[in-house]
Amino acid sequence: MPSPEGERMPEPKTHWIQAALARHEADLVRYAAQRLGGDLDRARDVVQEAFLRLCKERREDVGARVAEWLHRVVRNLAIDARRKESRMMTLNDEDHARPDERAPRPGAALEQRDAVAQVLERLDALPEKQREALRLKLQAGLSYKEIAAVMDETVGNVGWLIHVGLKALRGKLAVEGAEL
Amino acid sequence: MKRESKDERGYAPVDQRDWAEDPRLSAYALGELEGAERALVARFVADHAEARAWVDELAATARALESALAQESSAFAPALTDEQRDAVAASARRRHALGARRGWLGGAALVAAAALAGTISVLITQQARDSAPGYAYDISGGVPGGAGSVRGSAPAPATRFDRAGSSEPRRALSLFKAAPGAEGLETLSRQQDLPQADADMEVAEEREMQREGYDHIVENAFMPVKLDARSTFSIDVDTASYTNVRRMLNSGASVPPDAVRVEEFINYFPYSYDAPSPGAERPFAVQVAVAATPWAPQHRLVRIGLAAEALDLGERPAANLVFLLDVSGSMNDPRKLPLVKRALGLLVEQLGEGDRVSIVVYAGAVGLALPPTSGAAREAILQAIERLEAGGSTNGGAGIQLAYDVAREQLIEGGLNRVLLCTDGDFNVGVASDGELERLIAEEAKSGVFLTVLGFGAGDFQDAKMEKLSNRGNGNFAYIDSLLEARKVLVEQLGGTLATVAKDVKVQVEFNPAEVQAARLIGYENRVLAHQDFLDDGKDAGEIGAGHTVTALYEVIPVGAPYTPPPLPESRYTTEAPPARAAFSGELLTVRLRYKAPDGDVSTGFEVPVSDRGATFDAADEDTRFAAAVAAFGMVLRGSEHVGGATLDDVRRWALEALGEDRGGYRAGFLALVERARQR
Repeated sequence: MPSPEGERMPEPKTHWIQAALARHEADLVRYAAQRLGGDLDRARDVVQEAFLRLCKERREDVGARVAEWLHRVVRNLAIDARRKESRMMTLNDEDHARPDERAPRPGAALEQRDAVAQVLERLDALPEKQREALRLKLQAGLSYKEIAAVMDETVGNVGWLIHVGLKALRGKLAVEGAEL
Repeated sequence: MKRESKDERGYAPVDQRDWAEDPRLSAYALGELEGAERALVARFVADHAEARAWVDELAATARALESALAQESSAFAPALTDEQRDAVAASARRRHALGARRGWLGGAALVAAAALAGTISVLITQQARDSAPGYAYDISGGVPGGAGSVRGSAPAPATRFDRAGSSEPRRALSLFKAAPGAEGLETLSRQQDLPQADADMEVAEEREMQREGYDHIVENAFMPVKLDARSTFSIDVDTASYTNVRRMLNSGASVPPDAVRVEEFINYFPYSYDAPSPGAERPFAVQVAVAATPWAPQHRLVRIGLAAEALDLGERPAANLVFLLDVSGSMNDPRKLPLVKRALGLLVEQLGEGDRVSIVVYAGAVGLALPPTSGAAREAILQAIERLEAGGSTNGGAGIQLAYDVAREQLIEGGLNRVLLCTDGDFNVGVASDGELERLIAEEAKSGVFLTVLGFGAGDFQDAKMEKLSNRGNGNFAYIDSLLEARKVLVEQLGGTLATVAKDVKVQVEFNPAEVQAARLIGYENRVLAHQDFLDDGKDAGEIGAGHTVTALYEVIPVGAPYTPPPLPESRYTTEAPPARAAFSGELLTVRLRYKAPDGDVSTGFEVPVSDRGATFDAADEDTRFAAAVAAFGMVLRGSEHVGGATLDDVRRWALEALGEDRGGYRAGFLALVERARQR
C-alpha cells in the first residue's frame, strides 16, 4: 500500500499557470536577459514577477494569448527595471543598449559551434528592434499580431522590422544555414 | 493586375519595380499573410521570377536564423530558481482559491464536461514522487561514485552540462513533485463541479494527449439460451483501462463508468494457467473452470483461461536496461509519450528478477525517474512509468550522460547492458556538437553499454541523425508508430522473449440449453463478434503473445435457478427443434477457439466441452476467484446492475483470499487500489 506521502494530491487549479511556466520559462528568461543586458539574475526576477502577475489574471481573460501576454509583461517589466536602475540610460537608444547586451551573451558556449555563433552574431549586429522582432517571430514563435502587441507597435511596423532585418541578414546566413 | 479579383482591391498592389522593399514579401515568406492579401502576393510572385527568387531567399534566411535560434534555445534554457518557482506556485494556489469563487463560479464560457475531465486527468498524473528523494542529479558532478571515467574520454560534456547542472539540478524531479497541499483533495473535487473556460493551447494539447472521450459501453445483458445459445468474441490483450482508472482513483478523481472496461481490468493481471510446452501442437491451451458466482450464488461463473506457450526465457542473459526518455513538451502527443509508456509496460512484463530497469528523463533538465529496480518489482516500475508526463524543453545531451552513468554503475557482466533512448527526434545535444555526442556514445559502447534509439511520433523525425547515433553505440534504431510495433521491437531487445504465438484469436461459446437458461459475457463489450465472423478468416481479432494469458468470464444462469426470460411472442414459422444427443451429456457448454499462426492466413481451431461439477466459489482456484474479484470491482465502479449487492468490501475480501503467489506484486497492488476506492 502506498505511503501517505505517496498519496499527496496534486495542485489542480494552478495547472495552467504551471503549464505556462514549463513552456515559456526558458524563452522568457532568455528574452528578459536580452532586454537587461544579459543579466540573468535580474531576468529571473522579472520573469518571476510576470508569473506572479499572471496568477492574478483570470484564465479566460488571458486565454490562448498567454505567450503574448507574458512576453509583453516581461518586456515592460524589463524596461521599468532598466529605467529604475539607470536614469542615465537613454531608453530606446539602440546603440546604447547593445554593448551591454553583448557581454555575457547567453549562448557564449555556443561559440564552439561556429555556424550557429556566426548567425547569432550577425543577428546581434542588427538594430535592437529588428533583432527583437526577429527573435519573437522565429524563436518564441509569435505571430506578427502578437509581436505587435508585445512591442507596442503596429502590425505594419512589425512587418517592416522583420523585412528589413531579414534583408540585412540575407546572403550572409544562406551558406551557414545550409549546414545547420 | 488584370487578373486582380474584387477582394484584392482593398490592398495596394505590389510595386512593379520596388517590390524588394515591400515587407509583404517577407510576411508572405513567413506564412503571415492571409486571404486576399496572400493571394495578391502569391499572384505577383508567380508572375515575377526575380521576386520569386527573392521570396525564396528571404524564406531560406528565416529558416537559417530559426535553426540557429533553436540551437541557442536548446543550449541555453535558463530557468527560474526553485524558490522563485515555488513562489509562483504558492501564489497560483492562493489566487485560485479566490478565483474559484469569483471567476469560475461566475459562469464563464464553457467547454464541455469532457474537456474538463481532460484537464483533470493531466493534473492527476502529477502524482507525488517520493520514492527517489536522493536522486536529483547534478550532471556537472556526475552520478555519486559513478562518474569520472567518462569525463576523461569525453571532456566536452563537462562544459556542456555545466549550465543545466549548476542552475537547475532539481528541476526534472520537480516534474514529479506534487505541491504539498492539504487542500489538494478539496480543490480537486471542487474543480470537477466547475465548468471552466480554457482556450489555452497547452491544455488543449494535453487534453488531446489524455483524451478522455470514452465510448459509451452498454454492458452485455443476459441472453436467453433459447434465443441464442452462442456467444462470440475476439480476445483482448489490452489493459489500458485498468491503468487509466488506477490513475484516476489514486488522484481522487471520479471514474466515469465508460472508462471501465472490465475485460481490460481482468486481463491486466497474469494468471497461472498451464501453458502448453514449447513445440506443442497448439500454441496456447484453454482451461475452463466453473464455480458459483460470488455476487449471485445461484448463478455459475465460467472462467475461460487461455495461456500461450512460454518461450524459453532461460537463455536470455540478464538485462540492465536504462530507459532514457524524452519528456520534453514536444512528446506531448498521443503518438509519443503515451505510446512510449505503453510500450515500456509491455517490455516490463518480460523482465525477471535478475534484470534491472532504470528510467532517466530529460526535458529542461535531467532526472532519474526510476532508480535501478529489479525486474521483478513490476508494479513499482509500471507505476513509475505511469507517472511520467511531458513538459519543458529538450536537453538530451545531459540525459544521455546520466543514462550511461547509471548503466555503467549497474553493469551486468555478460548481460544485456543497454541504454534505450525514446525520443521524437527533437533531440538536442546541448552545447556539444553531434560529433562529440557520437564520440561519447562510441566510447560507452566499448564499456559494454549499447544504445538503442526508439523513434516516436511523426513529422520532423531526424532519422539520419538517430540512426547514426545508434550505429555508433553498437545499437539499433527503430521507429515505433503503434503498440504492435513497440511490442515487436522492444522484444527483440530481450532476445525475442515476447513473440506473437497466434493471431486473430476468436472464441465462441455454445451453451447447452438443457443445462443453461441464460448467459452473460462479462466485459468484452467492444469485442463481441457476429457468430458468422467466427469462421470468417477475413475478420480480424486479437492476438496472443508468448507467455501471455487471456481470461474471459461468463455468468451463467443454470436450469433450476430463478430466471424470467424477457417475454417473446411465439414464432409463427418455426417450432422448437428437438435437442441434439449432446444436450443430454450433462455438459454445460463448449468453448470453440479459432486462430491463425502469426504469419498465416488460414485459421485453425479446436473445441473444449465443459461440464459443471458444482463447485462452490470458495472451492474454485485462486485465479478464478481473483478474476471474479477484479470483475466485480470493475462492475462496482461501473455501477453495474449485474453485480448484485456486492460492495468494495466484498471485492477486497475475495481478492485478499485469492492472492496466491502474486508474482510481480500485481495482486497486492490491486488490493491497495480497492482500498483507495473504498476510502472515497
